[in-house]
Amino acid sequence: MWDMTPGALAGLGYPIVQHALANGLRVVSSPDHLAPSVAVNIWYDVGSRDEEEGRTGFAHLFEHVMFQGSAHVASGQHIGLLQAAGAVVNATTWFDRTNYFETLPTGGLDLALWLEADRMGTLLDALTQENLDNQREVVKEEKRQRYDNVPYGDVMELLNSLTFPPDHPYGHTTIGSMEDLNAATLDDVHSFFRRHYVPNNAVLSIVGDVEPEDAFEHADAYFGHLAPGSKPGKPDAQPLGPLSGLPRTEASGNVPADAVYFTWRLPAHGSRNLDALDLAFSILGHGQTSRLHKQLVRGNEHAEGSGASTMGLIGGNSFGFSYARARDGVSPEQLEQEMVEVIQQLLSDGPTEEELRRAKAQFERHWLHELARVDSRADALGEYATLHGDPHLINSRIAEITAIGDEEVRRVLEQCFRPDQRATLIYRQEG
Amino acid sequence: MREFLPRPSIAPAATWAFPAPRRARLSNDIELMIFDLPGQHVISGHLVLEVPLNSERRDIEGVATICARTLDEGTTRHNGEEFAELLETEGAGFGVDLSLSGAQIVLDVPASHLDRALELFADAVIEPSLADRDVNRHIQLRLAEIEQAQANPAQAASIAFRATVFEEARRAARMNGGEPETVRHVTPEEVAAFHHEHFGPAGATLILAGDFTADPMAIAERSLGSWRNDVQRQVTIEAPAPGTRRTLLIDRPGAVQADVRFGSFGIDRLDPRWAPISIASYAMGGAFLSRLNAVLREEKGYTYGVRMNFGPLRTGGSFAVQGSFRTEVLVDALATTRELITVDETPFTSQEVNDAVAFFTGVSPLRYATAEGVADQAATQVLAGLPDDYVDRSLALLRSVTPESATEAYRSIVHPDELTLVVVGDAERLAEPLRASGFTDLEVRPPTPNQTHT
Repeated sequence: MWDMTPGALAGLGYPIVQHALANGLRVVSSPDHLAPSVAVNIWYDVGSRDEEEGRTGFAHLFEHVMFQGSAHVASGQHIGLLQAAGAVVNATTWFDRTNYFETLPTGGLDLALWLEADRMGTLLDALTQENLDNQREVVKEEKRQRYDNVPYGDVMELLNSLTFPPDHPYGHTTIGSMEDLNAATLDDVHSFFRRHYVPNNAVLSIVGDVEPEDAFEHADAYFGHLAPGSKPGKPDAQPLGPLSGLPRTEASGNVPADAVYFTWRLPAHGSRNLDALDLAFSILGHGQTSRLHKQLVRGNEHAEGSGASTMGLIGGNSFGFSYARARDGVSPEQLEQEMVEVIQQLLSDGPTEEELRRAKAQFERHWLHELARVDSRADALGEYATLHGDPHLINSRIAEITAIGDEEVRRVLEQCFRPDQRATLIYRQEG
Repeated sequence: MREFLPRPSIAPAATWAFPAPRRARLSNDIELMIFDLPGQHVISGHLVLEVPLNSERRDIEGVATICARTLDEGTTRHNGEEFAELLETEGAGFGVDLSLSGAQIVLDVPASHLDRALELFADAVIEPSLADRDVNRHIQLRLAEIEQAQANPAQAASIAFRATVFEEARRAARMNGGEPETVRHVTPEEVAAFHHEHFGPAGATLILAGDFTADPMAIAERSLGSWRNDVQRQVTIEAPAPGTRRTLLIDRPGAVQADVRFGSFGIDRLDPRWAPISIASYAMGGAFLSRLNAVLREEKGYTYGVRMNFGPLRTGGSFAVQGSFRTEVLVDALATTRELITVDETPFTSQEVNDAVAFFTGVSPLRYATAEGVADQAATQVLAGLPDDYVDRSLALLRSVTPESATEAYRSIVHPDELTLVVVGDAERLAEPLRASGFTDLEVRPPTPNQTHT
């Protein structure tokens, strides 16, 4: 499956077969018989970027509502039945998509497909005001637990607002506004489902101990009769240029250390430029040999931690982040200045050959890890089929990253990773 | 148009067994366990050292953690940053994990780079520089990490819970990485002395799992086979003992939720009740539709999720119901919890037992399908003193659990009126209602102060 000779990185060859059902549901199969397990993973092409003004948080609310039963499944029984079949079950929501997945012993494949098809086809038959109200409360608890009651919990929301205008598809977070959720009626929720949860707006990946022809036959048996909908339009994905004018904001809270965050608008995911930038962010802030760590954590010891990464998105732009948390006695302004100097240095020197090689080697291990498990491989296939139109890309990612040269990295650094193209958030300790 | 098909039944699961290791000894007696796992191109390596945390001197607890974290900051062969650069160039990841019963040094690396990466790994374990500057920095970073943990209500609750549920003189009562007052007393000299006295081949096990492209035994012998330490001291693992039951409210003014730990001293995996209590705790608070989650989340919407968790140690352990609830409903959530965890009138059912057995049986092939999953479990077994076929034996024991044995084990361990309660939340809004609801021995503690570490 994997040719280990150096320089033969194109050799990653997981088998991938695709088939579209008559109703437009795309099915991706990747057989792997090493363990008697199968991963079932559905990507719906709907995320928080598809939400309308006044209706934020809907994509994520669905991630909850989808477990509240459907025509032939009682509330909560989706997970109940699957866990009793030995499954690991979950769902997540992101800016660009929502995914639902379960991995279980092969003998439970039919059950998993039946349950997924039942809720895709008949969720609204079972969605009551009572279910909706209950899950709205659970979502509010999720927001309290993950955002409101933890140090730095509102950073993502602040960075979103700094980087994109409020009416931009990426201008709000996936958890959304609690006011919008409170205002949501059963009708609103019904129409969101009808619009986005249709077979031709989804990709079903089946990875593991099943042959492609079986996977397609079973998928057709359970999903084939579901009626397609009209393919929903996508929000405007016109790329925005880099940030200008050095936007900044301040926040304070009961946090253990002052912190500085930078954000950038980057090119969309799926572009070679973003791949090159990803290597640059890795050189700046990933791991012990990154420039920020060497300078601020290990070198002058002004930071207790630092990092940088890209967050790939497809709607015209991606995010890039960098942060550092100040040690006692170091002001955030000083730390900010030092972070700017490190970035400026990276721009003027460009990455060294060693740095680039390390960043690529770390990407390689990360990607091999990602594909090592049937569940994360199914998720990667869903991602590349849904967002980039081609699941086979998972086999060529390492080769694509390896092919990026240092001149390219220098060029994109200068294009969109300059310190004057950043926005800044200063987070201070209260009191 | 076709109709919806009836709900399909589940085909019987294929037989599955945890992979068996090849065992060998290096020339210095390090035990070697090799798992050949086709298709797993990232090798997972765990070096398990018999260094229980009670090897630390009481006044400098945290020294083991600082020592382990400084290993990859440079070696006598590869100074300072050069070491990490070489390791990362191999595409390798290096990590450490310290538990009460021993230390794990972990390597992740693509198979074709194993030889060179394991050589560097061994260098860090055997001859780290442990330079003053690096040690001092890791002490400061550990102190900052404790502040971060105390600022997080869920972590603060867990820290207070272990301090109560375990007898305070035992190591288990305190954080694995040490508490501020002892971490502050760690010095570079003590770290070097700790490494010198406790890191050595005696009692060590090297676990390597993955799809090897070259003979792993030869590679292991080359990198670690010549390690000697004539002064290595081996310390017996200390058994924890139960602490004093308490009801604690740790103030977090203005908190919108209250984080709860409600539990007591527990059992270990060698206790004959381990299989039945695993089934019972899954039914009570492990499954999505567990008794606790079905009511507190799905019916009442009080929480994003609530669990009952058993944490086994080498001997003994602890268990707790844990979750965070919005402040207004905490008292009712606790009253409901107390009712639900009392099973005198509501013994576990055969449906609950069957579902739990199916779950544990079903997730095993997936959980142990990767090099990481297998090596991690093998290391856990070494540290807990369990046999190589522990997973298979334990699944067989789970299948023999009955509703009666699950209920009996549960009732012998979980005594709802004798549990320690830790709540981290807004005392002004919670203290009186908690007392009024029957927690009359409630002790309110002020917010954990922000320790300064200059």
